[in-house]
Amino acid sequence: MSMDLEFRRIVLGKYMDSTLHYCLQCSRCNDVCPVNEVSDGAYNPRSVILNAYLGLKENLIGKPNNIAVWGCQICDTCNLTCPQDIELTDIFYIVKNLSVQAGEAPEYYVIQAKAILESGKAIPLQTAIERRRSQMGLPEVPTGFEDDVKIILKETELEEKLSKY
Amino acid sequence: MSEYKLFAGCVIPNRLPFLELASRKVFEKLGVQTSDAPFSCCPDPVGFQSTDKESWLALGARNLCIAEEEGKDIVSLCNGCTQTLKAVQYDIARASELEKQRISDILAKVNKEYKGSITVKHFVQVLIEDVGIDKIKSMIKKPIELKIACHTGCHYARPAEVMNWDDPEHPIYLRQLVEACGATPVDYEEEVLCCGAGAGNAKPEYGLGVLKRKLDSVISAGADCICVVCPACFTQFDTQQRALSKMVEKEYKIPVLYLTELMALGMGFTPKDLNLKYHGVKTKNIMEKIGL
Repeated sequence: MSMDLEFRRIVLGKYMDSTLHYCLQCSRCNDVCPVNEVSDGAYNPRSVILNAYLGLKENLIGKPNNIAVWGCQICDTCNLTCPQDIELTDIFYIVKNLSVQAGEAPEYYVIQAKAILESGKAIPLQTAIERRRSQMGLPEVPTGFEDDVKIILKETELEEKLSKY
Repeated sequence: MSEYKLFAGCVIPNRLPFLELASRKVFEKLGVQTSDAPFSCCPDPVGFQSTDKESWLALGARNLCIAEEEGKDIVSLCNGCTQTLKAVQYDIARASELEKQRISDILAKVNKEYKGSITVKHFVQVLIEDVGIDKIKSMIKKPIELKIACHTGCHYARPAEVMNWDDPEHPIYLRQLVEACGATPVDYEEEVLCCGAGAGNAKPEYGLGVLKRKLDSVISAGADCICVVCPACFTQFDTQQRALSKMVEKEYKIPVLYLTELMALGMGFTPKDLNLKYHGVKTKNIMEKIGL
């Protein structure tokens, strides 16, 4: 097992002056994590923080089972509970973003990102719902964002980041 | 009360229009004025932020710019949209000069400039601060005498430093609003537990596991139904109880009401006016219980 310095630099980049250094590994995050409980520990936020902090990328990315990273559902319960005020979910976003680029994201996330790329919305409108809306007397769903979304996502190179799917 | 830009999101307008209907009816009755705008996806704080933070930040900032151009605050019907828009403001405020410049360069491509000049509110906050409990109570013609499990959901008040609203561990405002409708909020152990929708995105069994823990707690407290303020929680409760029943071979069928549906019923709208027929878990039994 070796330290990936570039990975560690990315993780600590934003947090060098912050609290990550002071993680006590006290495991309060695991205690309150609902997914840690239902997954019998397969998802372990304490361990994600430790591996991210130490730069042990291979323990998080490139594993056959991506639950170690993707078990997190961003319920923010660990953030609220951490006695050291570590913003755990902010670290998880960094790790997940890298996992996406490595081609390891669960299908749900890829489908959603492609929907936003194509239509500007995670959940695009359907004809049946349009009909239902008009039966209910609801106004049409506003449009006019589509071109802006395409331009912005071209700039952030989202398509390239999703190239492995 | 000044007019808000209505941020209805993706899920409500495009999948659950009956929730938009109830919300618009309630806003109209209470004098909450809103107007629409060409907002894109907020985008989803759980999904899209996990996929690519920079894309999430830039699209969220563009949405904020649109409301800023009109000088109007945003009222959101969804926890997720509220959290994204507030978190984008929070992140940009804390970003380095380099990061700020990057976002500003991206926005310049679509002729937008982010100022950070507006406030984003969850609709519960507007109901509490702009309308007030007393006025809402005075509008309730038909008290909804049900025992209700209040579920605020994760992104309603967490993370506390971003949301800066209500108590994240003991949320009080949803309870007050449910009470104002003549209902009784029940105490249950798992009130602040997540609905499990997010975990289900990675592995369905995990989502159902969290849902089970939540519903068992709701049932043992003797609640007639669950009241929610987020379409992701609504969908999880309303559509996944069937899958959970199958998985654990025990029937779960607790009805779910959106807060604005509950309020609209209290204001005298009928289940038919509100199209409650589109709920997955049928509301017939609880409607009979209150004589509707």
